[in-house]
Amino acid sequence: MAKKTAYLGMLTALAFVFSYIEYLLPINLGVPGVKLGLANLVIIVALYTINMRWAFTLSAVRILLAGLTFGNPASMIYSLAGGMLSLAIMILAKKSKLFSVTGVSILGGVFHNIGQIGVAVLVVETAGLLYYLPVLILSGTIAGVLIGILSSILIRNLIKAIKIEDIDL
Amino acid sequence: MKRNDFILLAAIVVIALAAFGAVSLYSAVSTREPEAVVYLNGEEQGRYPLSEDTAVEIRQGNSYNILQIRDGKADITEASCPDKICVNHRAVSKQGESLICLPNKMAVEIENSEEAGIDASTR
Amino acid sequence: MKKLCQAGILAVVVFALAGFACIQYGNHGPVRYEGQFYDCFDTVTTITGYAKNQEEFSEKMDLLHKKLVYYHQLYDIYHTYDGRNNIKTVNDAAGTDSVKVDEEILNLLKLGKEMYGRTKGKLNIAYGSVLSLWHEYREDGLREPQKAKLPPEEELERRARHTDIEDVILDEEWSTVRLADAEMSLDAGGIGKGYAVQKLAMYAKEIGMDHVLISVGGNVCAVGGKADGRPWTVAVENPNFDDEVPYIATVDLVDGCLVTSGDYQRYYEVDNVRYCHIIDPDSSMPPKYFSSVSVQAADSGIADALSTALFNMDYESGLSLVEEMEDVEAMWIGKDGEIRYSSGFRVNEEE
Repeated sequence: MAKKTAYLGMLTALAFVFSYIEYLLPINLGVPGVKLGLANLVIIVALYTINMRWAFTLSAVRILLAGLTFGNPASMIYSLAGGMLSLAIMILAKKSKLFSVTGVSILGGVFHNIGQIGVAVLVVETAGLLYYLPVLILSGTIAGVLIGILSSILIRNLIKAIKIEDIDL
Repeated sequence: MKRNDFILLAAIVVIALAAFGAVSLYSAVSTREPEAVVYLNGEEQGRYPLSEDTAVEIRQGNSYNILQIRDGKADITEASCPDKICVNHRAVSKQGESLICLPNKMAVEIENSEEAGIDASTR
Repeated sequence: MKKLCQAGILAVVVFALAGFACIQYGNHGPVRYEGQFYDCFDTVTTITGYAKNQEEFSEKMDLLHKKLVYYHQLYDIYHTYDGRNNIKTVNDAAGTDSVKVDEEILNLLKLGKEMYGRTKGKLNIAYGSVLSLWHEYREDGLREPQKAKLPPEEELERRARHTDIEDVILDEEWSTVRLADAEMSLDAGGIGKGYAVQKLAMYAKEIGMDHVLISVGGNVCAVGGKADGRPWTVAVENPNFDDEVPYIATVDLVDGCLVTSGDYQRYYEVDNVRYCHIIDPDSSMPPKYFSSVSVQAADSGIADALSTALFNMDYESGLSLVEEMEDVEAMWIGKDGEIRYSSGFRVNEEE
């Protein structure tokens, strides 16, 4: 129980810090919504080392914390849409057993951006935003590859280092 | 990475390219030829390409303006307004130029044409 | 080895695509928008500015519109508005009581008095009684061109006696205006629009618009330059509509104003002679010096007042007035098309 609490606490803190780093160092390519998605690293690790329920909780807590500390209600809605769609797709992709961690991460990155732009189109009521879609799909893919490779290394080592049975419910 | 990951990557790249093609095609289709756009009370009433010579009566109740398009230019040739500022105005053909009749709350604006390189004018 | 090769090819493809995408989409700064309204100062207002999207621009336009309507109502001489004393209220009370007015009416009248002094009476805000007579005859003449007449001389002379600016009595402490002469009236036509445009430009800055071009009926005022750092290009229209050339000159504006007074927009004809809407306070008749006069200045109120005043005086007097004022330049277009400039007036070379 204590181990589980410590592990989850660490993941939450990491996800939060990663969000903050991305807030401090935005990637500016002229297209809104392009980012690395460092926090997704933590979510994927949680998805593979714990279970989908905790990955979901972690994602929600991170979005809430980040939104309340350095975001605003609008940015929170965007994060929520992107984060939840992305996680749902990643859970499905993992269950399908078709892809490695990298494949799952790529899908997560792509659908995170699709979720965000979907909400943006609804909020701003401008279909013109779809103009950004191709770039966002590509940037999501690139981010997904990078995060995916990092995640698989992390997961491999974490599984060796800790007994998952200790923390899994 | 598994073989499936690469298939996924390829599929996404193809989809992105297709989306990019669709977006480009859409914006190519939506850039149109120069036209005179008629507004009454700020609401769009009609669009007339500058490439076709024509004359239209823009009527609203008892007031009217006659818009004539000739040689790629739009001009108001007749109007019911008292001041006739719109009739006196020269014909317009460049992006952003306009013919305005204040008494009749009518405006003709040129869209999709080449830029005149001017942001505003004074008279 | 095969895996490494695959990864390499993948990386090249992905980064090539990413680079391509960046070039395609990289330069998406704020978008340029334009908005118009028709209900202020009897003319068309066009505002050109930048915003992230149409919605943001519309919000700003609404704010600017409200502000301009406020000034329009304040300086209106034809209508009164509930709950607000304006210039018509002051005119209606001429010869009787002081009228409590908004600070912005006092500010305008103060500027009007100052410009009266500087232009030796060629711009007179207390000239309403004569202007209103011309206005009546012009409206009638436009309605029935065959019956167009000039205002009778005796009546013009009689009314011209009731235009003494000293009879406009301002009390800043109590924020009131009193017209001491019962037959006089104010007409802010030659200055109110320009003053309002100046205030609108300052307000635009306040609400976070750093690059705006405002044109209220050709009374043009720039806040900053364009978003890309280039200056705004403003053209002075060719008064001669029979001429093929639409513009006489173009001027670059960054944080400045350009105002033109001309005889070819608002006028009527009597026996084939054109009588424009600007009246020389010294003769009570439309002046015959120029087709138009354009003034460039830092302040739109001053530019507006000066363009009217310069239109009412000969070139030599006008030039000496312009040269003695700082940051003011002018361009005169004669009836014969002759163009003259003050020493510092900068026009763009023909491209």
